[in-house]
Amino acid sequence: MISVQGLTKRYGNRQVLQDLNVDFASGKLTALIGPNGAGKSSLLMCLARLLTADSGQILLSGQDIQAFSLPDYAKQVATLCQFQALQLQLKVGELVAFGRFPHSQGRLQRSDHLAIAQALDLLGLTPLQNAVLHELSGGQRQLAFMAMVVAQQTPYLLLDEPLNNLDLKHAVQLMQVLCHLRDQQQKTVIVVLHDLNMAANYADQVVAMQQGCIRHAGDVGQVMTATTLSELYQLPIQVLHTELGRFCHYFNQPEKLYAC
Amino acid sequence: MNKSWQLVFCGLLSVLLALTYLLFDSGLDTEFILPNRLVKLLAMLTGGIAIACSTLCFQTITENRILTPAIMGYESVYLLWQALLVLLFGLNSPLLQDLQLNFVCSTLVLLGYSLLLQRWLFSRSLQDVWQMLWYGLVFSLVGSSLTQFFQYSSSPAEFSLLSQYSLASFQRAELNQTLFSALLTLLVASFIWRQRHQLDLLQLGALQAATLGVNRALLLRRQLALIAILVAISTSLLGPTAFFGILIANLSATFSRSQSHRHRLPLAALCAVLLFLLAQLLVEHLFNFKTSVGLLLQLCCGGYFFMFLIKHRQTS
Repeated sequence: MISVQGLTKRYGNRQVLQDLNVDFASGKLTALIGPNGAGKSSLLMCLARLLTADSGQILLSGQDIQAFSLPDYAKQVATLCQFQALQLQLKVGELVAFGRFPHSQGRLQRSDHLAIAQALDLLGLTPLQNAVLHELSGGQRQLAFMAMVVAQQTPYLLLDEPLNNLDLKHAVQLMQVLCHLRDQQQKTVIVVLHDLNMAANYADQVVAMQQGCIRHAGDVGQVMTATTLSELYQLPIQVLHTELGRFCHYFNQPEKLYAC
Repeated sequence: MNKSWQLVFCGLLSVLLALTYLLFDSGLDTEFILPNRLVKLLAMLTGGIAIACSTLCFQTITENRILTPAIMGYESVYLLWQALLVLLFGLNSPLLQDLQLNFVCSTLVLLGYSLLLQRWLFSRSLQDVWQMLWYGLVFSLVGSSLTQFFQYSSSPAEFSLLSQYSLASFQRAELNQTLFSALLTLLVASFIWRQRHQLDLLQLGALQAATLGVNRALLLRRQLALIAILVAISTSLLGPTAFFGILIANLSATFSRSQSHRHRLPLAALCAVLLFLLAQLLVEHLFNFKTSVGLLLQLCCGGYFFMFLIKHRQTS
């Protein structure tokens, strides 16, 4: 379990995280949702130890994350950042092999090659493993980075808007991979999502943030309601329950949202 | 071509050229010519390794393909230092006449400069490559205009000595300092070699590398210190090489089609040695010392960048 206690972060006068207290349950897929600038990415960066909070602490299975050495932490928590380097002269297989760095320090053993092959297979990238990254489409590249994170074989996965650049099929594929990792390997997955429907249909738990605070946290059914979401995004949102799952409907707004 | 075969091919070619350089027109004279050429050969190897390692690592840690530590003001500080020596102590000062003393002093000065640069500059703005490049260029400009200012107030003899310093050459290489530089370079290069996997990870960007357990701040501090030593050695041993580092870094990337430091570091070093050998052979046997290695190398760099630009205009 990851437990966030009294986490605060400010940039100058702007408070981006205000005294956050939240628990992320083990073996669950938790979606972080909220409007732009709510502090979702900042919270995720703090969890990934890429950003240092001003006060408060984060406990990973009861232990302060600052107590881990960086290489040890990389064996516990894998993170997919929001922006990836674009001009990479790397083959897909080489990129995925980077995911084994915390375990192998660059000298790949047989277990590493196995983990790389499994990750490539899970993301359906085995036929592309010798393709060079910058020649791939944005979606394929995103999947390759996802494979790198999977190859890291950590109990915790943090993903910052992994569905950016992905078309419908790839997006669903990626969410299914996350569910597979949760179900088959009991991973704890925390993912920042902008697509409410993905959150409503794939997440177990949802943490809703707004202006640096956590407004709601709980099971997906509790948080993904019309009143909660409408208030969160300041936009009338309906939640329809269909045979295939929940559907968040926010299109064809009668009210004009632009200025002039 | 397979990456290992590329290395073998370049290695064999270098050995071939090195033998040619050693033996051609030497009369197998073991008194003077052969030892003299062996020292220069060692200087080429040392310089090649130093320039290749320093440029590649610098480009990796700054995540920028068009930078070289040589243009971060190091070379103008070197020239300014020599000009100051001439101005303050005159041509006959041991600081200029004793090549060994001169080498040690200029290495120390360059190390001092890079420490200052790092403490004052890199601590805050390593995030911002453009700002860093800007500072480097400003320092270079200030340094070289001061040097020019001193040059104009010098005598013809002093002027000619200073002009010699402004171009790379192997004529200054003497046995003791070359041996010392070679050992130090090997030591530093082996440290860099041990960090090659972490350097590879940096190409993913600082954040993603950190998530894989790379302590970026520590890596950068170590790398900058190692780079400073290498630049100090190569500049003191050969003189300014300006854009040569970028040329070989680019060549190695083009040939190996890979960013992996395991392939690129040795390939870039071999490219450098090959070009040094070619230039020295041409200077000694074709031009009869009427031109200098430094000039040839600069011509080569200029030509390469010109072709590079034309090619990129056509493809884009």
